[in-house]
Parts: sequence; C-alpha cells; structure tokens
Amino acid sequence: MTASLLLQYSVIAMAVLLSVWVVAKKQFPGSVRRLRVALALPLLREGKPAWMRGLGLRISPVSQTGNAACGGCDNCGPKP
Amino acid sequence: MNAPAVPLRLALIGNPNCGKTALFNQLTGSRQKVANYAGVTVERKEGRLHSAASGRSYAVLDLPGAYSLHAASLDEAITRDLCRGFLPGEPVPDVLVCVVDATNLRLHLRFALEVRELGRPMILAVNMADVARRRGVTVDLEALERELGVPVVETVAVKRNGAKALIEEIDRLAAVRHAPAKQLPEGADLHQETRRLLSAAVSMPTRTAKVDDALDRWLLHPVFGLLALAVVMFLIFQAVYAWATPMMDAIEAATAWLGATVGGALPEGPLNSLLVEGIIAGLGGVIVFLPQILILFAFILALEESGYLPRAAFLLDRMMASAGLSGRSFIPLLSSFACAIPGIMATRSIQDPRDRLATILVAPLMTCSARLPVYALLIGAFIPQKQVWGVFNQQGLVLFGLYFAGIVSALIVSWVMKKWRRDKSEHPLLLELPSYRIPHARDLLIGLWERAWIFLRRVGGIILALTILLWFLLSFPGAPADATMPAIDYSFAGRIGHAMTAIFAPIGFNWQICIALIPGMAAREVAVSSLATVYALSAADDDAAAQALTPLISDGWSLATALSLLVWFIYAPMCISTLATIKRETNSWKKMSFATLYLFALAYGASFVTYQVAVLLGAG
Repeated sequence: MTASLLLQYSVIAMAVLLSVWVVAKKQFPGSVRRLRVALALPLLREGKPAWMRGLGLRISPVSQTGNAACGGCDNCGPKP
Repeated sequence: MNAPAVPLRLALIGNPNCGKTALFNQLTGSRQKVANYAGVTVERKEGRLHSAASGRSYAVLDLPGAYSLHAASLDEAITRDLCRGFLPGEPVPDVLVCVVDATNLRLHLRFALEVRELGRPMILAVNMADVARRRGVTVDLEALERELGVPVVETVAVKRNGAKALIEEIDRLAAVRHAPAKQLPEGADLHQETRRLLSAAVSMPTRTAKVDDALDRWLLHPVFGLLALAVVMFLIFQAVYAWATPMMDAIEAATAWLGATVGGALPEGPLNSLLVEGIIAGLGGVIVFLPQILILFAFILALEESGYLPRAAFLLDRMMASAGLSGRSFIPLLSSFACAIPGIMATRSIQDPRDRLATILVAPLMTCSARLPVYALLIGAFIPQKQVWGVFNQQGLVLFGLYFAGIVSALIVSWVMKKWRRDKSEHPLLLELPSYRIPHARDLLIGLWERAWIFLRRVGGIILALTILLWFLLSFPGAPADATMPAIDYSFAGRIGHAMTAIFAPIGFNWQICIALIPGMAAREVAVSSLATVYALSAADDDAAAQALTPLISDGWSLATALSLLVWFIYAPMCISTLATIKRETNSWKKMSFATLYLFALAYGASFVTYQVAVLLGAG
C-alpha cells in the first residue's frame, strides 16, 4: 500500500468514525449519554491517575439543565 | 472568592398572541418564532437581558400564552405552575411582566387582574401601542397605573427601542421590589373590574377594526371563504415550481462544476470517490431543492404573519369536526408542513386529550418540508413540464395533489379513529381571531434566512454524516477477484439492499430505493442524497457518474415504481426524531408503536395498490 493510499484511508476512517458519532448523538442522544456516563465513571474513581480523571471529565456529558424539547430535527429555531 | 450574582428572573406572561415572544426577542436579542395567531409558544423559553443603563443582567422567561391561571390546556398549565413556583427546579420569577394587547384590552386586562392577585412584583406592558393609536384607541397610562396599582408602560415589540420604557421600569422595580399596591376584594368579579378599568383609562371608538370586518365578510364566508383558501393553497404550489427553476438550474450547474473540479484535482482513489461520488453528488442532490423550500416557506410565513391562518382554522372546523378533529388541530397540523416535531408539540394547546392524541397521530401525514426534495425529484423525473389549460404548471398540479393527498389521508385516518373510540361527542371551537396585519418584509427575510440556515445545518450535519456512512457501506468490501457483478453489489449496502427487495419488490422498489429508505429514517432528504450516491457509485464511467440524478432515475425506473415511491412517502413513518417526540408527548410506548405500525401498514398497502394498478395499466 502506498503512502498516498494509506493517508486516504486514514482520512476516510476518521470521517466515518466522526459520522458514526454525529448520527448516534443526533438520533440516539439518551443512549449516547448513558454510554458516556458508563465510560467516564470508572475513569473518575478515586485513586486513578490525574490524566485518567481528566479524560473521564472530558468524556462525561454536561449536566442536563432546562428541558430542551427538540429532538433531532433542528427545526425549532435557534436557542436564545 | 465571591459567588457570581444570580440574575433577577423576569417572566413575560399574558394572553396568547399579545406579542410576548416579539417582546422577548426585543429584550434578549433572540429570534424565537413569532406569528399572528394564538399558541405559537407552547413551552417556556429563557434568554438574557442586559440593561445598559443600570448595568444589571436579567434572566427573561417567555411563557406560553394563557387566558386564565385556571389552566385548561398543557401550555397554560406550564405558565400557571411556573408563576406559582410549582415547576420542579424553577424558582418563582422575581418580576412578572404582564403583556397586554392595547387593541384588545377588554380581554387582556381580565388576565392582568388575575396575575396581579399572585401578589408578585409586576409591570403591565401595554403592547402594540402603535396599532392601537392608528385604530383610534387611547390608553391613559397614568390612570391605568393608578387604578391597577402596578407600573404601566407602553411597548411596541416589533420596533427598535420599542421596549425602552419597559427596560427602564424593570430597572426601577429591580432596585426596589414591591408587591402590587392594590388587590381585589374577596369575591370581586374580574369582568366587572375589567369594565371599570376600561371606563377609567381606555377609550376605543369600535371594538374591532373596520378593515378586519370588511375582509372577514368575504374570507369567513362559508362559500367564498373556502374558495379563497383553495385558491391561496393552489397558487402556493404553482409558485413553488414556476419561480424556483432558474435558481435550481444554477445550483445544479454549480454542483456539477464543483464535482468536476475536485475530481480533476485529486488523484484517482477512495478519497476522490468519497468526495465526488459521495459527498458532492449526495449533498448537491439535496441542496438543489433549497429554492423550492424557501418559496414554500415565504408563503407560509406571510400567511402566519397576516392573521389569516386562524380564519382558515375557523373555516375548516366543520369539516375537521366531522373527521374527528377540531379547528384547534389546524395550527398544529399546519406547523407539521414545516416539520412534524413542532407540529406535535403545538398540540399542547389542544385542551381535549382525545382531540390532542388524534392530532398527534395524524400530524406525520402532513407533508413536511423534508419530503419536498423527494417529491420534487420524482416529479421532475416523471412528470413532463407543460402547461395545463394554458395556465397551470403540470408539475405544480401534481405537487399540490400530493400535499392534498396527505391532508385527505389525515382526515380519513382521524375519521376511522373517531369510529373506534367510545366518546364520539364533538367539542365546540373557541378561537381568537387576531387583527389582519401586513407582513413585515424584514420579518419574512429573517424567517427565510432561519429556514435556509436550518436546512443548510441539516445538510452539513446529519445529512453529510449519513452520506459518508452510506458511501462507506456502498464501497466496502470491494469486489472479489472473480467478480461477475458490479462492485457495488458486493458491498455491505448492496447486500442489504438486495436482501430488502424480498419485502419491497411487490411494491416496485429496486435495491437502490431500498437502501435509500434506511438513512431516510434519520432525515427524509437523505433518501435523495442516498439515491444520488448509490447511482454515482453504480455508474459505469465518470461521465455517467457526473450526471444529475433526475435523468438517471427517469431512464432507470418505471412510472409504476415512481408512483409507488411517491405514495410511500405520503404515508411512511416520519423520521426517528418524530417518533421520539410522539413518545415524549404521549408518554406512551404503546401509542408511539401504534403510530409507527399504522403508518408503515398504510404506506405499504397504498404503495402496493398503486404499483400493481399502474403495472396493470401498462406503466410497469
């Protein structure tokens, strides 16, 4: 495999993974949230090294405030 | 370290359609949807106001309109609970800004009196003061303030600086918060007190505007009114085709040029294929329909602003009641032409739970804007562009027919549901008819810009993501060395598509259509981009791949298949987000499953009949 082809496949792999993430987040927000919590919790336990805890914080979803009612349709207008 | 100061919470409260959201937008710089009918806002919205004069910041809440704090519908209950501090996690607002329509004080002051009884610091904002003045209505603000015992200010929510006096008053009240100076005595009659306030502070020559009366004589006429409604709807769909063509041609040419340029600049390989046959072909196939979507929305926005829509609801009430719906269902169903999600949410303003459920279940049958690209693609490919009777565009007629079929189907489904339920009583329609208003060009342009932005965000977000995934599934794994079929037939998506034809062949769908149906569940327009990608990847050479989708499908599909797919899209369940919204609004998996199953069954049955009849007639 040439370097050019390897680079092309790397870009495609990144694009595909990003697309999977976008679709999952948009279409199944609840499941993605639960998955993020499940992944983050073990990393945030006491005694874990600082970098792991930092990673856990990055993975964990932001706390839900308010009650945004829109689903994945993007049609409810911009947020204030 | 000092904790950041918690901003004071202001709540905008008032009767429906008094201009709360317009005032909210003015105060916070937001662009929440406003329209000239009751029930546009069905949930609380929050924004920030920064007063330059005092340097204070406020959290501003825009609440759904309510006729009374004795809530009769879900949206009114939100307002009542929030004002009384019953909503979990929502503190009681520090200041209530009660917005009243200066042209309709007879109704709105009654609610202001009810709000005053809450005993919270309150300001009365007399909105639409400019319209009232033009109509000869004069409001003595000082007298009203004296009689009510709360500060009263004038506002014009749709004009720049129209809320200046209100902000000054908010600053004053924030500095020294005090409860209203007056309260109603025990057992006092609100209507009587309203009449007293009107005679003390308001002079109005007539109760309604002359122009409204003159227009209503024709537009609410049982025969001419319905005729006018039919003509308006008909002209909209004619315009969608007649005006959009030059823009669509330009976008198509730009897409072809971009594909050729990128394809020529990159070396042959998978990345070239992803960009040209996947992303550019796929997204270009969807973006081309933007002009038609914008023309349709220009008309819808103008109708919303004009105040005509509640009249249409009134005209259609009898027909809707005989089909098991009420005139109140009209606005949610109309919202569903944009997207079923806000349409389903708008059903919160329907007081009767039975009518609300019926409206939720038929809302997906309204033709949402995401279906327009699919219709436009198939009509463009199979319906010749010619004039009918020398006046009408044939393609526009077919599009009108498809929208009409969705509406008639919704009425039939709700009629069938009415037959099944035990309570067959009909509920009278009580609807407020707003004054007619000439739509502001600025508001229309902002509305159109937002609509275009929403569409482009979808194209750059979920549609792009699904197009990339579909390209991947159509390109991998590659064909084996001893392949006898085109490479795409060996791909993941090719295999899935061929497997699906076992179910969909009886309704005339080939494997390419079957594949397009899956991502179409995430967003309808993706069905078009998916078809564009599938056909670009299936093409024998680059010239064939660069062709627009329309000629490819008009050559490759039979008329029976095209008709069957059109019918499928009238009925098939909406996107996953719509189903999730049905679940949330009904709080029932059972009702959501019922909606999904009945829509699938209807789509399959109708497509089957259409395809088989078309084949019998020689269109196969």
